[in-house]
Amino acid sequence: METLRATGSHLAEMYARAAELYGDLPAFATRQERGRWTPVGFRRLFEDGRALATVLIELGVAAREHVGLLGDNRLEWILADYGVQLCGAADVPRGCDITDAEIEYILRHAGVRVTFVEDARLARRVNALRRQLPELREIILLDAEGSAPEGVRRLGDLVARGHDLRAAGDHNVEERMESIRPDDLFTLIYTSGTTGEPKGVMLTHANMMSQLENIRMDIRCTDRILSILPVWHVFERVFEMIAVSRGCCNYYTSPRHLADDLADVEPTFMGSAPRLWENLHQRILKRVRETHPVRQALFHTAYFLAHYYKESVFFLTRRQLQLRARGILRETGATLFHALRWFFLLPWYGFFNAAVLEKLRLVVGGAFKGSVSGGGALPREVDKFFNYLGIPVFEGYGLTETSPVVAVRTPAKLVVGTVGPLIPETDVRITDPDSGAVLYPDPACPHGGRGCRGEIEVRGPQVMKGYYKNPDATAAALRDGWFRTGDLGMMTFNDCLRIVGRLKETIVLSSGENLEPGPIEARLNQSPLIEHSIVVGQDRKFPAVLIVPTAEAMASADGKLRERIGSEIRARISGAAGFKAHEVVREFRLVPGPFRVGEELTNLQKLRRHVVTDKYRDLIESVYAREARPGKEAGS
Amino acid sequence: MMEIDRELLNAGEQALLAVMILIIMFGMGASLTPRDFREALRRPKGMAIGFLSQFGLMPLIALGLAFLLRLPPPQAIALVLVGCLPGGTTSNMFAYFARGSVALSISMTAASTLLALFFVPILLNLYASGFAARIDAVMLAEGAEGFVIPHVNIIVSLLLVLVPVGAGMVLRRVSPDWAKTAEDTAAFMGIVVILFLIGSVTFRHGGLFLQTPGTVYVAALGVSLAGFFFGYGFAALWRVEPRQQRAISLETGIQNTPIAFAVILLSFEEPLRSQMLWLPILYATSVVITSSVVTLYFRRIGRIDDEIYRNSRVHNRLFGAEYRTPYPEEAVPANLERHLSKIHATVVRREGRRGL
Repeated sequence: METLRATGSHLAEMYARAAELYGDLPAFATRQERGRWTPVGFRRLFEDGRALATVLIELGVAAREHVGLLGDNRLEWILADYGVQLCGAADVPRGCDITDAEIEYILRHAGVRVTFVEDARLARRVNALRRQLPELREIILLDAEGSAPEGVRRLGDLVARGHDLRAAGDHNVEERMESIRPDDLFTLIYTSGTTGEPKGVMLTHANMMSQLENIRMDIRCTDRILSILPVWHVFERVFEMIAVSRGCCNYYTSPRHLADDLADVEPTFMGSAPRLWENLHQRILKRVRETHPVRQALFHTAYFLAHYYKESVFFLTRRQLQLRARGILRETGATLFHALRWFFLLPWYGFFNAAVLEKLRLVVGGAFKGSVSGGGALPREVDKFFNYLGIPVFEGYGLTETSPVVAVRTPAKLVVGTVGPLIPETDVRITDPDSGAVLYPDPACPHGGRGCRGEIEVRGPQVMKGYYKNPDATAAALRDGWFRTGDLGMMTFNDCLRIVGRLKETIVLSSGENLEPGPIEARLNQSPLIEHSIVVGQDRKFPAVLIVPTAEAMASADGKLRERIGSEIRARISGAAGFKAHEVVREFRLVPGPFRVGEELTNLQKLRRHVVTDKYRDLIESVYAREARPGKEAGS
Repeated sequence: MMEIDRELLNAGEQALLAVMILIIMFGMGASLTPRDFREALRRPKGMAIGFLSQFGLMPLIALGLAFLLRLPPPQAIALVLVGCLPGGTTSNMFAYFARGSVALSISMTAASTLLALFFVPILLNLYASGFAARIDAVMLAEGAEGFVIPHVNIIVSLLLVLVPVGAGMVLRRVSPDWAKTAEDTAAFMGIVVILFLIGSVTFRHGGLFLQTPGTVYVAALGVSLAGFFFGYGFAALWRVEPRQQRAISLETGIQNTPIAFAVILLSFEEPLRSQMLWLPILYATSVVITSSVVTLYFRRIGRIDDEIYRNSRVHNRLFGAEYRTPYPEEAVPANLERHLSKIHATVVRREGRRGL
């Protein structure tokens, strides 16, 4: 049967179409308490959103104006978004964890005159900044509870007023909707600053609509999406928009209630981050350890069988990681081997899958069809664990600047170790980070350049319009329609994208926290003991640092070098020295030899991070071998 | 007639089979609670149709196959016996993966195990007497004692089989965690023992596979397939909702073979015992394969109605028992629309019990 889909050339049209198609089907569900949720239907949401848009127009919001939207996942967030889209404006979203400095910078830079805020506390904070924000006129409170501070309007009141205006014959919204062009912004998302100030990523309706078209997930109106990632990130937002377009209900949960809500909602899909899978992985292993020996043995047998069975299945269906081209002889041999292994394991796997693994899969509710994981690399072991277990994790790749999905695994191309094939209409090329030469696609190369590492550049309908009021940054990032991601990657031989590392320096921990290695390294390098230092920790739970000791330090080595460097790090990188908690580096490793120009260093003595992380992979791995116990004293 | 000069299973293997029966029936008990029996009364229509299918249709299918394939009388009696058996616990697992109603499957298994006490002897008397009379005539002609179906022994063996079931239920009450393990281990042991017996029988009676007439294989394979097919058709005829159709179909085709082994071991003498045992062993092996295939098929055809059912169930659990999910017409297949209110009623009854 054909899957129903609401489409359009812009979000407002899609919202209207979804209301017609799905009527009173639940669109969003809000948790009141364990096991008690309240739904809001598509039509009701659309009508309230249209009422809000009517009032926003009355309040003077112009078409294409930027409206602030500071809040976390909740029904009112979506309602505010409906209002903003339906009056032809664009929203500037950010979560409640925003700092005062960021509020001031973002609202001023985006020229925000009207902003939504989550709760009374945030309203008071924004109110206090009014003097620095002369353009800001209206603050609208999403939260219906608590008292609204002086001069702050309530969302509920506005919606009620909007309904009155509509009843009196106000049809401004229809006019506005007519005037929306696909090239208009639907959102302006400020990314946490990597270097210097945050940059406003301009995403258009066409960007978003292309994502809805090209992310081919089998989601329909009988599905349930559990929503846990922050909606102001475009990754989560795309999933909520896909849900609206397909008539599927979004259930808002939170990390605290996740385990309960997985069982209650029995979601079929969710957008997720690596941290979630790491936690679930730990939880499952813990649960297994706590059961009696017979069950443990059953689990280990089942996982053992699943591992080898699925490995063969993945091989036979061309879903294995293929980093090299294979000769016909090896290919045939391997195929034969896997076919035999598949055949012999099938009955045993079949039994253990039914009796043991199915119960483990209940950890994500009983109806799970899959999850797209994004926002960081999934640790290989965790990735394998879930995919062998039969919980499909579709790792994807993208950035805010690409709305965000560039590539994502599909059931047919669920290749562990990659982020899957490119989504339709999307081009990727791999360029040499130093020379800029195109390595892939390169017809002159054997296999067209597959297997060559370099910077990933993206071209497609999802690529942003540019950075708002920042032509320099836009010009640096966008050249001839190609967006430079700053990530290192390669195309595998079965045409999946594999992410290898980052060119950009920002390190994103698995918690999602960003840290800049530059300031930490600069501070460490001031030490007389340290020649070079390089902070690592991309996709890890905590940062660590590789140290090249100075020649003097080596010469005076009295067997206490490790200790002395350890205390040097503790002294220099501390909260007292102005570093945030997640930036405080404790773990370190000494690098055997000095860094050389042309290898680890450029001619200008700058670190070539990807070379270092490649060359000292084992050393770095040794730091995280015991990742389950972070925060141990350095070098111990 | 198939010639087996020695006993099909030696004393050791018979003991192993007996242990397997104990374990499997114990495991079956471990999966049941008294509530499953009471629940059986709460879905009268599904239960009634399932009952007719299991004790009405399936024995007739077995009898029909025995006539159609002109099976020798001992194998014919064995086949009819397989046809009269109650449902096995594996049917619950298959119903789960086939997107069938697990609750109905469990209720049917529980109820039919109890009812088997009456129905197996009655049905055997009804359908197997003709074959027994033929054996009787042959034996008398050979100067041996005559043969009648040993009804009393059969009832005693059916009662004996219920003892480990009861013990399993006690374990379930004492420790649900261990009961779970017992259930899983039992099913696995069952497969291992059956495979071992087949291997060992092949080893000792090398020619048996070739000696066995093709019709016996057809009977062993065909009885489950015919059970699935007619069970499904019968349930569909009565317009029960699709999830129940699939459960009834699987319940009809999947029989509790350990009971057949117990009945044959405890009630029949050699050489009849050896001649009868082979067919249920073949059935027990092949039913794993046929039901896996049917389950995969049901999984595919049942996808949409199962998703609608599950979605409605979640909605009623979270939004309240009165909530009716207003699916757009285009999203619901035409043949499912008349089931929507039934689905809602089922959902509310099940969820309501748990206290929303």
